[in-house]
Amino acid sequence: MKALERHRKLTAIWASEPGFRGWFSTVNHTDLGRMFLTTAFFFFIVGGLLAMLIRAQLATPHSAFAGPEIYNQIFTMHGTIMMFLFAIPTFEGLAIYLLPKILGSRDLAFPRLTAYGYWCYVFGGSMLLVAMVLGIAPDGGWFMYPPLSGPIHSPGINTDFWLIGITFVEISAIAAAVEITVSVLKYRAPGMSLDKMPIFAWYALITALMILTGFPPLILGSVLLELERAFGLPFFQVDLGGDSLLWQHLFWLFGHPEVYIIFLPAAGVISTVLPVMCRTPLLGYGWVVAAAVSLAFLSFGLWVHHMFTTGIPHMGLAFFSAASTLVAVPTGIQIFAWIGTMWKGSPDLRLPMLHILGFFCTFVIGGLTGVMVAVVPFDWQAHDTAFITAHLHYVLFGGFVFPIFAGLYYWLPHFTGRQRFFRLGEFAFALIFVGFHVTFLAMHWVGLLGQRRRIPTYAPEDGWTTINLISSVGSFVLAIGIAMVLLDVILHGLTFYRGPRNPWNAGTLEWAMTTPAPAYNFASLPHVTGREPLHDDPDLPARLARGEGYLGTPKHDWRETLTVDIASGQPDMHVIYPGNTRLPIVMSAVTGLFFLSLLLKFYWTVPVAVAGVICLAWRWVWKQGRKDDLEPMSLGRGLKVANAAMSRRSPGWWGSAFLLTANATFFGSLLFGFAFLWTVAPGWPPPAWLTASPFELGAGLAGAVLSSGAMRHTMRTNRKGSKPVLGPILALAGALAIAFACAALMTRAPAPMEHAYGATLMVLGGYGLFHACLAALMVIFLIARVRGGYTSGGRQAEFSIVTLWVDYAAVIGVLILLVAHASGFSS
Amino acid sequence: MKDILRILIAPLTWLAAFSAIYGLHGVLCASGISGQTLGISWVRLILMGAYILVILGQIALVAVLYHPKFASRSSFVRFVSQATGWVGLVAAIWSLAPVVMTSHCG
Repeated sequence: MKALERHRKLTAIWASEPGFRGWFSTVNHTDLGRMFLTTAFFFFIVGGLLAMLIRAQLATPHSAFAGPEIYNQIFTMHGTIMMFLFAIPTFEGLAIYLLPKILGSRDLAFPRLTAYGYWCYVFGGSMLLVAMVLGIAPDGGWFMYPPLSGPIHSPGINTDFWLIGITFVEISAIAAAVEITVSVLKYRAPGMSLDKMPIFAWYALITALMILTGFPPLILGSVLLELERAFGLPFFQVDLGGDSLLWQHLFWLFGHPEVYIIFLPAAGVISTVLPVMCRTPLLGYGWVVAAAVSLAFLSFGLWVHHMFTTGIPHMGLAFFSAASTLVAVPTGIQIFAWIGTMWKGSPDLRLPMLHILGFFCTFVIGGLTGVMVAVVPFDWQAHDTAFITAHLHYVLFGGFVFPIFAGLYYWLPHFTGRQRFFRLGEFAFALIFVGFHVTFLAMHWVGLLGQRRRIPTYAPEDGWTTINLISSVGSFVLAIGIAMVLLDVILHGLTFYRGPRNPWNAGTLEWAMTTPAPAYNFASLPHVTGREPLHDDPDLPARLARGEGYLGTPKHDWRETLTVDIASGQPDMHVIYPGNTRLPIVMSAVTGLFFLSLLLKFYWTVPVAVAGVICLAWRWVWKQGRKDDLEPMSLGRGLKVANAAMSRRSPGWWGSAFLLTANATFFGSLLFGFAFLWTVAPGWPPPAWLTASPFELGAGLAGAVLSSGAMRHTMRTNRKGSKPVLGPILALAGALAIAFACAALMTRAPAPMEHAYGATLMVLGGYGLFHACLAALMVIFLIARVRGGYTSGGRQAEFSIVTLWVDYAAVIGVLILLVAHASGFSS
Repeated sequence: MKDILRILIAPLTWLAAFSAIYGLHGVLCASGISGQTLGISWVRLILMGAYILVILGQIALVAVLYHPKFASRSSFVRFVSQATGWVGLVAAIWSLAPVVMTSHCG
C-alpha cells in the first residue's frame, strides 16, 4: 500500500464528522484537545477581564466603580475561573492533544471519556458564567469558607452555583486524570520503557495522579456544604457538632496540591521546550523525574500552611512549616537542572525561550516569598494581605502562564502547520513581563503596608493610593500584552504561511507527523529506542508514513492501536476504539440536568436524570464488546498480541482501578472528616448515639463476603469455559445485603439535622448504599452480557472489571458499617 | 506497575506517616492524657515513639530499594526509586522533627 492510499484509508476511518456537526460527535483527541484549549483560553480572557475590573476598582480610593456585592462576585469569579476553568483545563487540553502524539500512539485510552469530560467542563463552566451574567454569581471568595458560605450567612443561590458548578467541572478533571494516567502507563509506542518516556509524559502522569488524589477532598467538602445548605445537615455549624475548620482542611487538602497540579504540567513544558531551545538534551532526566515525584508527594503535606492563623497547636504548625520549607528542595533541583541545561547548551533566544526566561525570573521570586510565608511568624503578619495575593500570582502566573505561553508558541506550528509571519509575540512578551512585575511587585509592597485582600475600597489616608494606581496601570499593560498574544495567534491562524514539519529540530515524536496532525496521528506506530527518536533516526517520519512501523495496514475499518507493558514498553494488547458518537455530549447534558435539578431544587427531576445517566451508561458499555473470540492480532513487524477483551487487565480494568483510587480518597476524606469532628469539634458528644444492631452489621458483613467470594467463583467458572449462573446471582444478593445494611444505617442515624454525628452517619450510609447499588447494577449488566453471548472463557475482561467494583463496594461497606456501629457500641 | 510502585512507595509511606502522626497528635491532645516519665510528658513520649518507628520504617524502605532481590532490573527505575526512597527518609526526619522540639497541645 502506498503512503497516500494509506493516508486516505486511515483518514476515512479516523476522521471526525465534517463541519460543525463533528464538534458534537468527535471523540478524537486532537479535536478535543484543541476544543479544550480554545475553551480554556476563552475562560482565561473572561477571568482576565474580571481582573481588570478588580484593578479598576482599586486604582483610586473610595471608588464607586462597583458596589461591595458586585465586587465580591467579581473577585470570587476571577479566582474560580482562573483556577478551575482555565488552569486545570489548559493542562487537560494540552495533555489530551499532545500525549498520544508524544507517546507514539493513535489516541488516548478512552476517547469517549475525553469527550464526556470536555462537555461536562463546558456545561459546568457555562452554569457559572450564566450566574455571573444574571448577577447571582458566587460571592464568598474562591475558597468559600463557611460559616460565611453557609446557609445562615449566604442564604441566596450564589454559593450553590459554586458548589454545584465546580463539582460538575471536577467530573471533567477526574475523567481527564483517569484518561491521562492509563494513557501514559499503557498507550505508548513499542520499546518506550519508563526511562525512554518523554519528560512531559512523566509530568502529565504525576499531575494526573495528583488530580485523582487531590480533587476528591474538595468534591467531598462541596457535597457536605451543599447538603448543609439544601437539607440542613450541619457539618460546619459549631453549635450543632460541626466545625467550619473541617471545610478548611478539606479545601486545602485539595487547594495546596492544586498549586502543584498547576505548576507541574508547566514544568513539563519547560523541561520539553528548554532543551530544544538550548539544542541539548535535558540535564539530569532521572533527577528531574525523582524531583517531580517528590514534589507531588510533599505538596500533599503542606495543606495546613494555609491555616496558620486558625489557632492550631504549635506542634501542628511546626509540622507543616517544616514540610513547607522542604518543598523548596525538589523545586530547586528542577530549577538547577534547567539552568544546567542552558549552561550545557547554546540557548537560542526565540519566543518560547523568552517566556521561559520570564518564568525563571517570576517563579523564583514567587518561590522565595513562598519560603517567607512558610515561616509561621511571618505568615501571621502577612496573612490575608495583598502580599499573599502577590505571592500566589508570582507562583501561578510565573509558574503556569509564562510556561504555557512558551508551550503555545512552541506547539503553535504543530496545531496549525504554519509558521508565524507577524512578530507581535516578542513585543507582547515585553508588555506582559513588565506589566506583570509592575502590578504584583507593587502589590507585595502595599500588602506589607497592611492592605487586606478582597477589600472593595480604601481611604486616601491609608497611604496606599499611589501604589494601587501603579499596580492598576501595570495590570492594564499586562492586559494589552495578553491581548496582543491573542491577536498574534489569530493572525497566525489567518496567515497561510506554510512551515516546515519540524521547525525547532526537536527530537520527540509529535514532530514525526505532518502538521496539522492527521486524525490518526501516525500512519504506522514507531518502535522507540531512545528518548529523542527523531534525533536517533531522522528518517523515521518517512518510514512511518510508508507503513514500516506497527499497525501500518488498516483493516476492517477498525480504529486500532496497541498497548504496552508499563515498565518495559513491550506490546501486550491490541485495542479497537469506538467510533464517532454523540453519546458523550448527551450523557454530559443529562449529568448536567442532575446538577441543575439540585441547584434549582427541582428535586422531582433528579431521579429522571439519574435514570437517564444509568440508561446512557448502560448503552455506553453495551456497545463495546464482541460475540466472538478474536485471534491474536498481527501488529506488523512479525508481532502478534491478544485483543484487550481477552485480557484480565484490560484498559477498562486500569481505568476502573484509577477511578477507584480517586473514589477511595473521597472515602478516606470522609472518614477523616468523621474523626476530625469527633475529636476536635467542640459540640461533641452528640445528644444521642446510634443504637448498634448486630443484625444489620452481620447482614452487611455477610453480604460483603458473599459478593466478593461469588465474583471469584464467577471468574473461575468463566475461565473453565462454562457460563456462570450461580456466582453472579450470589454476588447480586451480597451487594443487595450491603445496600440493605447501609440503607438501614441511614434510616436509623440519630437526628441528622440536629447534630453532625447523625449527619455524618447519613452520608456514610448514603455512600455505602450508592456503591452497593452500583455494584448490583454492574452484576446485573454482567448477567445480561453472559446471557447475550458477549463473554467466553477467553473474553474475560468484563468479569475482572465488575469484580473490582464489587470488591470496592464490599470493602467500603464493611468499613462504613464497622465505623458506624462501633460508634454505637462505644457509646 | 511494580516499577511505578517502587518509585512511589517511600514518599507515599512518608505522606501516610506524616498524616497519621498529625492525626495522632490531634487525638492525644483531645484525649487529655497527662503524666510524665523521666520528665517527658506521655504525649511527647508517644509521639517520639511514633517518630522513631516512622524513621525506622523509612530506613527499611531505603534498604529494600537497594537490595538486589527487590530492586528494579531497570537502572533508571532503580535510580529514581532510590532517590525517592531518600526523599521519604529525609522528609520523615525533617517534617516530623517538631515532636521533639516544640510545645505540644498549645
